[in-house]
Amino acid sequence: MNTILILLPLVLTILYSLATVPILVWMERRIAALIQDRLGPNRCHINGIRLGGIIQSVADMMKLVFKEEFWPSHIKNRFYYLVAPSIAFMSAFLTFMVIPYADNVTINDTIYTMQALPTELGVLWFLAFAGLGVYGIILGGWASHNKYAILGAMRATAQVIGYEVAMGLSLVSMLITYGTISLNEMVTYQAQSFFIIPAWGIVLQPIATIIFIVTAFAETNRAPFDAAEGESEIVAGYHTEYGAMKFGLFFVAEYIAMAASGALIVTIFLGGYQLPYLSTTDLINNFELVLWLIIAFAVVSSFVFLKWMRKHNIFAMTGLNETKVYTTIIIGFTIFAIMVMSYYALGIGHASEVGVMLLQFAIFTVKLFFLHFVFIWVRWTLPRFRYDQTQKLGWNILLPLSLVNIFITAIVVVGVNYGN
Amino acid sequence: MGIKVVERHGNTFLEKIYLHAIFGGMKTTLKHFTANLSDASNIPTICYPEQLPRDITPRYRGVHRLTHRKEDDSIACVACFMCATACPANCIDIVAIAREDGVDEKMPQRFNIDLLECVFCGYCVEACPCDAIRMDTGIYSVIGDNREDFIYNKEKLLSIKGISEEEYSLAK
Repeated sequence: MNTILILLPLVLTILYSLATVPILVWMERRIAALIQDRLGPNRCHINGIRLGGIIQSVADMMKLVFKEEFWPSHIKNRFYYLVAPSIAFMSAFLTFMVIPYADNVTINDTIYTMQALPTELGVLWFLAFAGLGVYGIILGGWASHNKYAILGAMRATAQVIGYEVAMGLSLVSMLITYGTISLNEMVTYQAQSFFIIPAWGIVLQPIATIIFIVTAFAETNRAPFDAAEGESEIVAGYHTEYGAMKFGLFFVAEYIAMAASGALIVTIFLGGYQLPYLSTTDLINNFELVLWLIIAFAVVSSFVFLKWMRKHNIFAMTGLNETKVYTTIIIGFTIFAIMVMSYYALGIGHASEVGVMLLQFAIFTVKLFFLHFVFIWVRWTLPRFRYDQTQKLGWNILLPLSLVNIFITAIVVVGVNYGN
Repeated sequence: MGIKVVERHGNTFLEKIYLHAIFGGMKTTLKHFTANLSDASNIPTICYPEQLPRDITPRYRGVHRLTHRKEDDSIACVACFMCATACPANCIDIVAIAREDGVDEKMPQRFNIDLLECVFCGYCVEACPCDAIRMDTGIYSVIGDNREDFIYNKEKLLSIKGISEEEYSLAK
């Protein structure tokens, strides 16, 4: 139990960052398709099982892995050329380490932190590694020895410098509000409510929220700020000379960076793993009721999903009958989950602590995937910002706005503390 | 008179903070997303091997066919070589012989079209003085196991039916 609880956040970090990449690629394609009135990938299958198209992104990853490792002959600094995608990938991956996935779990008077890296310096760690990610892009662009690549790298650099400042300053105003730099304490702070509104960061600091979300888009080089790989002007930007899995690492790094920014936005501004109005203690004390509510929700949602799937899964593939397989799996899983939950609802040992922890993982995951949806939604709505517009927005609007926001926040916080 | 003042956009405060327009755009895309997610049957995508294209008209340049004469159902082609001359891909191979049945003077003994070389430009159809060659079959996919399967000979070309209303040659 001890080892499991210590290893759990590490495993979750790997799951949230690496294992979600195929799902994110699939979401990106499917949401793009549905927004543009298309269908998206729906053919690739393993013996008739398509998982709604997820198999396609698995196939794409396999293709990247098995592709020939190509070395352009003009590249002199092979070490930097090779290490650049690894830096981009690693820094994106490490950013995830400080996100709290659930509240601290207390079992037999031992407190387990649900962070992969049990540190209080969450925000600083995030800023450090989010800023380091662009080093991979710069190094890759420079080592590629290619005009387009270096142009893309320059654009990424200038953009990250401009937006890092506004991002850091908007975070400062959040630090003043919460009075802590520990991410877990920030989430605990957001469990309380003002009058009837939950005290989430988005309610307390709407301007800082907007600034942070906009800068997070720029920081991860995602549309509408993806001028670094602007394919209409500079071929593919910094990864022009990359192929096979070296490109794959850049590609995966972009998605992990997006996931990490999404996780930080959830943690700081959207209440992290908290449900509105319900603190961790409330959940633990009323665990039985919570379980019955979850059971009801599981039954209703799997029924709705089954109905939707039967309507839309119309093209039969060779091999197994997909609709039948899914129906069996979903009904079986729902029944199994209900049996397990009702067994726990009768109450044993630390069931409520562990149960609430699992529930908070689920809440965090739902919020995170909502954020992913927003990232993808924005990408397929907005055209790319022109480069001078990007710079103007960063330096002329977001920077002064975040400075003003800090002053106002500080005045309010000091005033409230003085009043108390 | 004559002066037209074009309205410039993007200078008001609301437009300069972008957010208003961004949320407007996001509303539109979300509408498309939810509508397509709840009912995918309105998506115009054709799932090709299961569903076939519904917009193939007689004017679509498909695989060629040789037409028949209305009077006696014999071949309308008089082996004038106009189509082979007009062909930019040199894919038409004709050998002419004299026609013994008195209907006309000449007819092709061999009329081969190599579909692997054909660019489906339709110049042969335009060049033909007898309306003997047409591309109104509506066939858009030609499948074969080897290269010889793609060389359509006279018998094959005569046997293909068109999808237009005029089945026979319109030449007098």
